[in-house]
Amino acid sequence: MNKKLFTLASTATVAAVALTGCVETKSDVKENDGAESTGTKPVIELLGMGSSEQDMNIVRDQLVKNGFDVKLNIQPDYGSFTAQQDAGNFDIAISSWTTVTGNPDYAVRGLFKSGGDYSRTADKTVDKLIDEASTLTGDEAKEKYKELEQALVFDNAYIAPLYISQKFQGIYKTEVNPDTVRLPKSRAQAWETISFNDEGKNASETLVLHQAIASLTSLDPVKANDGSINTLNTNMYVRLVNLSDTDDVVSEGSLSYDHAIAENNEEYYFVLRDDINFAKVEGEKAVDTGDLVSAEDVVFSLNRAKDENSVPDHRTYSIHENIDTVEIVSDLTSLESVKTADGKSILEELSDELPAAISEVVTDEKDVDNAAGKYQVVKLTTPNPFPQVLNYLAHQSGGIVSEAAVTAVNTFDVASYDPNSDIAYGDQSTITEGGSYANHLAASGPYILVKKNDYEATFVKNPAYQAGTENEPKIENISVRFIQDNDSALSALRNGEIHVLQSVPETKTDVVEGDENLQLKTADSNAVSYLLFNTSGRETAKSADLRKAVLYSINQSEFISYYQDKKKPAVSTVTPLIDTGLKLEADSAKVKEFLNAYNESK
Amino acid sequence: MKFISDVKLLLKITQEYVNAQFTIAFSAIFSLLFLLYCFNFSEGVWRPIVLVFFAIYAATTIYVWLTSLVIKKDLAKHREVTKRSRLLGIPLILTVFAGNVFAAGYGFMLASKNKTAEYTFAVYAFLTQIFILMISGLNIFKPYVVDTFILAMGTFIILAALYLVTAILIARHVTVDTAPKWMLPLGIVLLIPTLTGNFFSLLLGITLIRKARNTDPSAVEKWQKTWNKILRNTMAVFGLFFIVFMFSLSVVSSWTFDYDFAVENNYAVLLQTPTLEYPLGTDNFGRDLFSRIVFGAQISLIVGFCATIIPALIGGALGAISGYYGKNTDNIIMRALDVLYAIPGILLAIAIIAAFGANTTNLIIALSVGAIPTYARTMRANVMQISNYEFVESARALGANDRSIIFRHIVPNALAPMIVKATLTIGGAVISTSSLSFLGLGIEPHIPEWGNILKVGSTYLESHSYLAIFPGLCIMLLVLSFNFFGDGLRDALDPKSN
Repeated sequence: MNKKLFTLASTATVAAVALTGCVETKSDVKENDGAESTGTKPVIELLGMGSSEQDMNIVRDQLVKNGFDVKLNIQPDYGSFTAQQDAGNFDIAISSWTTVTGNPDYAVRGLFKSGGDYSRTADKTVDKLIDEASTLTGDEAKEKYKELEQALVFDNAYIAPLYISQKFQGIYKTEVNPDTVRLPKSRAQAWETISFNDEGKNASETLVLHQAIASLTSLDPVKANDGSINTLNTNMYVRLVNLSDTDDVVSEGSLSYDHAIAENNEEYYFVLRDDINFAKVEGEKAVDTGDLVSAEDVVFSLNRAKDENSVPDHRTYSIHENIDTVEIVSDLTSLESVKTADGKSILEELSDELPAAISEVVTDEKDVDNAAGKYQVVKLTTPNPFPQVLNYLAHQSGGIVSEAAVTAVNTFDVASYDPNSDIAYGDQSTITEGGSYANHLAASGPYILVKKNDYEATFVKNPAYQAGTENEPKIENISVRFIQDNDSALSALRNGEIHVLQSVPETKTDVVEGDENLQLKTADSNAVSYLLFNTSGRETAKSADLRKAVLYSINQSEFISYYQDKKKPAVSTVTPLIDTGLKLEADSAKVKEFLNAYNESK
Repeated sequence: MKFISDVKLLLKITQEYVNAQFTIAFSAIFSLLFLLYCFNFSEGVWRPIVLVFFAIYAATTIYVWLTSLVIKKDLAKHREVTKRSRLLGIPLILTVFAGNVFAAGYGFMLASKNKTAEYTFAVYAFLTQIFILMISGLNIFKPYVVDTFILAMGTFIILAALYLVTAILIARHVTVDTAPKWMLPLGIVLLIPTLTGNFFSLLLGITLIRKARNTDPSAVEKWQKTWNKILRNTMAVFGLFFIVFMFSLSVVSSWTFDYDFAVENNYAVLLQTPTLEYPLGTDNFGRDLFSRIVFGAQISLIVGFCATIIPALIGGALGAISGYYGKNTDNIIMRALDVLYAIPGILLAIAIIAAFGANTTNLIIALSVGAIPTYARTMRANVMQISNYEFVESARALGANDRSIIFRHIVPNALAPMIVKATLTIGGAVISTSSLSFLGLGIEPHIPEWGNILKVGSTYLESHSYLAIFPGLCIMLLVLSFNFFGDGLRDALDPKSN
């Protein structure tokens, strides 16, 4: 018995020793990483929205692995996020920017120039580079933007770039013809081209689209510039020019037949169509007001767009600050005398696409008759050579509003405007169902908003929008369904509750591809995600070394593998528009170096 | 005719037979599940490991069924289970290594004629330890283990052996009312492993010490009786087993599991299906789901326990004062609590977290505040009833002050319903914690917590369903366990049945 017990015990001991030998412990494996930087770990507060939880987790993980302590500040929605940001309760904030105008100037001016609409930086070098770069084109511009990125990202680390997104559009192809649904890089979704598979349904069936935000900032194009109205206002107001799917400025589908740039790059000419009238809503139907969308309205709209004091709470004047004058051309000979860069005259340049040759330019909308050769031509000037102004005219804030409708509603004095008693043109309360409903909108675009509630906004076709041309809206009724959660929106798309989803989540594209009812379309986008550093009060504001330590902790390839290769590396918000050749590489050696420098400077 | 009905009655009161039926049912269900899962229908291939499990469970089912037949025969012939039939239980104990706790528990029951509460405690302490050993042992397949791993595993093996030896000794030497004197030191030794969270060991130690000292036989008998009642309820025992197992696992996990696997992102292994290295697969950040669930139990249990104990203490005290003094005191306290009661608990919790921010302490406070009134009401009703008893009158006549009357005479006698209520609501607290995390209002998303894990899983329900199934199962099982145990406790403490 004793012998047996002894054998058993010795066998167990041998087995245990053998087991111990073949198992590697953590200290065996991590021995080499033991050289942690000395001193206390810097604490970084990371601010973000619940919807960017994944990005926050990746950033947190990368910072922790590089010797930071990270405190998360997760806010449920955009409102509380900006409240926290304005209160300065962050060191770094997950931010994103989409350059909807498709030009590099817009990608930096508002964001990084001192005093810009969204700017939190004040750096003279950066300001100077932004201004210089805006006047340049081609390789010169590329070099200047490269200098800007160097100053903005690598020298000062005002931002730490994360990635460029791509666009994933899901279309319910059982109902909607996927070939008619455009997926442009920058501009908002264009509704007028969309058609059902069975074109007979276009007049009777309602097309259901999707938007995340239900609270509409304002339906006056100059009083809002955000995701809540970008698509809606783009489709409700026509502009002088449009952006093509690949971000070229074109006249197609716009108010102008054609446009021309004078050789000095300071004068811009637009010859206007006469087949668009304003529409208004009467008894939940769109009615043709008979009021032509004319040069007078263009002058009125662009003048109020560039004037900060034209409306209370103006949100877009800085975009249009480069417009000097807007006027109606009264003398045909002046078009003949001015030359374009090609050496042709403006008149020749404008005459390419017209239904009848220009015989006369008229100043009064009553005299317009394109078929008889009587056109209106608008001339716009900029104080400096600035060809990117055309991109800004293609922005939703350059939408043409009705002078008559706007002046009829905005009767108050702008300086003494009281939001509690005065109702401005485009206020969302006027189109929200209920007691305050009084739809006073006048739409120059293909569709007009009838009414909205928290669940959806309903639109009907403008009957007087380029009727009979290929730009005439195909579908009669459109409903924009408000679904905040992207995954829920995807479910709605899958069961046909909505017909087009502009933002399929990156991690779910295989679900859309595998669904026989759906078609997935992919395109590049100008949306860049980046970390914004707090530039007032916090440690990150004082120490460039600390900011750079965070910058070099960011490993973009990890983001890309998390999003299954559906993101692209970025350097700044300019990257999707101009690839300057710079690259951000994660480097833990540099992080240690900058952290040590930061600790010493304390 | 009389003879047959007698056997039927015997079958009903013979615990082994009842237990056998129960074990057959559960083993059959599990073998069926394994059978369904062993063939991959979408790829048309067999899963060999699952097939092996199916074979083991199916064999166990048949074996248990055969033993139940033997028991039936024995009872008909000898009016009791024979010694030879009892030997059939011993091989069943080995099924614990296949994770079949039902069959192993049944094996232990069958193997010993002596069914004292200590024996059951020792058996389940052993089963818990083996389960923890096996679960922790899976970490061998990881690239590395924590430094304390070998030491901890060695301790687990020693403890398991200790429990097994204790069980054998108890079966041989302990009777329903006495234990030999030399078991006293053993009892004291058995208190130490409580540090690993194994409550069975604590119960075993306490019972052994009391029995061996044998100073207050009536108290021992009462204790024994209550536990026997609980332990006769098979579901309550398995409920308690799962609770103790989860608790113990969450306590020892820091010594056998590496927290880094649970929180550090690993982009090389995103969304892996279950393998030996990642027994439950990896999530969308390449974190090991298995480690996350194990560490998640810590927070779920801590918040669950705290959010039950705090309102039980506060509500209990308020209820006791209110019930004892009555009149205006009662009115003021209870009306104030009625106001609190009128606010939906989860809404109140959301409001508190929204105001003070999301972290573990705030989560506990938020969940506690809303639960205070219900505890106060329960306690008040009990105290009102008990304060009219003679022993309270006599205490007052002897000149005891109010405080000592309330907290030394009344409250201890009013505790039973509070304990039952606490056990039943602890499951609710676990669910509330998980719901709040699921809504993004609880713990920071990267910290493993069952609600957080389930939230990630819910977005991958279609493509990687295991991410949602496993945390969901854990929440479900833990809550069910608390409910079953609470039911058993209520039945045992119910004065009507005493």
